[in-house]
Amino acid sequence: MRADSKPNRWLTAALLAPTSLWFLFMLIFPLIVILIFSFGERAAVGGYAGGFTLEQYANLPSRLKAFQNTMIIAPAGTLISLLVAYPLAYYLALRVDRRYKLLLLVLVIVPFWTSLLVRTYAWIFILGGRGIPTLLELIGIEGVRLINTPGAVLIGIVYGYLPLMVFPIFVSLEKLDKTLLEASSDLGGSPFKTFRQITLPLSMPGIATGCMLVFILLMGEFLIPAFLGGGKVYFIGNALVDLFLQSRNWPFGAAVSVTLVAIMLITVSLYMRMTMRSKTGRDESLM
Amino acid sequence: MRIYAIAVFLFLYVPIGIIVLFSFNAGRHASELKGFSIQWYDKALSNPFVGDAFVTSLIVAFSVAILSSLMGTAAALALQRLKGTPKMLFDGLIYVSVMIPGIVIGIATLVALVTVFDFLNPLLASAWPEGSKPPKLHMGYASVIAAHTLFTMSLVIILVRARIAGMDRALIEASMDLYATPWRTFYQVTLPQIYPAILAGFLLSFTFSFDDFIISFFVAGANTTLPIYIFASIRRGITPEVNAIGTMVLVASLVLLLTAQFLLRKRTQR
Repeated sequence: MRADSKPNRWLTAALLAPTSLWFLFMLIFPLIVILIFSFGERAAVGGYAGGFTLEQYANLPSRLKAFQNTMIIAPAGTLISLLVAYPLAYYLALRVDRRYKLLLLVLVIVPFWTSLLVRTYAWIFILGGRGIPTLLELIGIEGVRLINTPGAVLIGIVYGYLPLMVFPIFVSLEKLDKTLLEASSDLGGSPFKTFRQITLPLSMPGIATGCMLVFILLMGEFLIPAFLGGGKVYFIGNALVDLFLQSRNWPFGAAVSVTLVAIMLITVSLYMRMTMRSKTGRDESLM
Repeated sequence: MRIYAIAVFLFLYVPIGIIVLFSFNAGRHASELKGFSIQWYDKALSNPFVGDAFVTSLIVAFSVAILSSLMGTAAALALQRLKGTPKMLFDGLIYVSVMIPGIVIGIATLVALVTVFDFLNPLLASAWPEGSKPPKLHMGYASVIAAHTLFTMSLVIILVRARIAGMDRALIEASMDLYATPWRTFYQVTLPQIYPAILAGFLLSFTFSFDDFIISFFVAGANTTLPIYIFASIRRGITPEVNAIGTMVLVASLVLLLTAQFLLRKRTQR
């Protein structure tokens, strides 16, 4: 390769300029403003008044319920999605005829790229008064309430984010060396043992990616609790919409957003460190 | 195992099917099926609010897709020449802009832009000549497009970079050895190879922007996009008209996605 000449360097800079501007004005600058606001005070008419106080952060416990709901339902939703997605990914990657594999995978992914709003709204219909509860009444079970419960929110979560979980697990299972599975059964390993000692460890990277993607999106979720939690089961996202658009308490809302981002960064980096360590541990044991 | 897979597919598609089914409902109420009718489509299509929201969404999504694919591709091409700290910095920013929740982007953009506008508007007003009406900066098309583009631009960078990584470098070297100009090498060798990734990035950016609710909800100002309109209608109560609009939105995304699939397949086969 040629050494980087001067015109080349100018070209690189020019190609990166628009992206850099975007990052600067649409990402870094807004995040700094939010951080500054979170130390400010609420103006009498709403909005922001300057100052330096930790009052907003001290006030966080008043939204404890939102934090609790998010921190319980988001991991639970991630786990249930994993349990539902894994067998499907396994089936698609290892059991389905090659001819239909791609078609079936596309069928799983497509819903994810269509409107989450419309798909979640379908569940208001299904779980609401005239949906499943009416059907249950026909067979004699009465007084079942489904909508506006944590269960309804969990169903919405699994429904909305299942494709995102299936895809990475499918990719890692698809790459898996099938001769390993044959070797294991030839050596008398039971199907369960083969799964536990070969398939599962080798699909770990896919599981880790899927869980992280779903968990991150769930932390900032607004629509699913808004539609299926009906003001009873609400997330940090719902508290934020309320703080910014209804009560116009910007400094407090800023403090809540900063806390949300901080919790996310901490859990994600802890999680990444954990999965990295288990990966290196396995590599050593393989050697 | 197969039965399980069928059950999951049903779980994924029955709710969508129900929306489509009820959008053809002849009855007034959303929850009782009373024969077939397309009256709700008629009603939705003749509703001026729906039309306006649809046009707004199209303008936003189209601008986002064009901006993202141009800037994202340019950045992806430049990033392969970058080394050391600048490269790490860019990688970090791309990572953060994809990972950060949409709601935080919406809020941060709203707060930052309102602050900047509050500062600039009096300055503009005082600088403007007496008598004429000074321009007033406010949230609108530009703010939604800019906020969506932050995410979709990074998406395009990731897609195009993956394609560049899988590209045959020998072809580029051969082209340069044969004394092609850098521009000609780019146009005749690099571009045809990364084209499918750019196109996929364009279509995914379009779909993301067209379907996004939460970012637009904060930064769209007085402009109502289609998802914002649907959200507001659902809040007022479920009507068959909403089902008809929802069905049209689903069909639109579906057509786009299948087009992307088809084009990508055709390109790779050649």
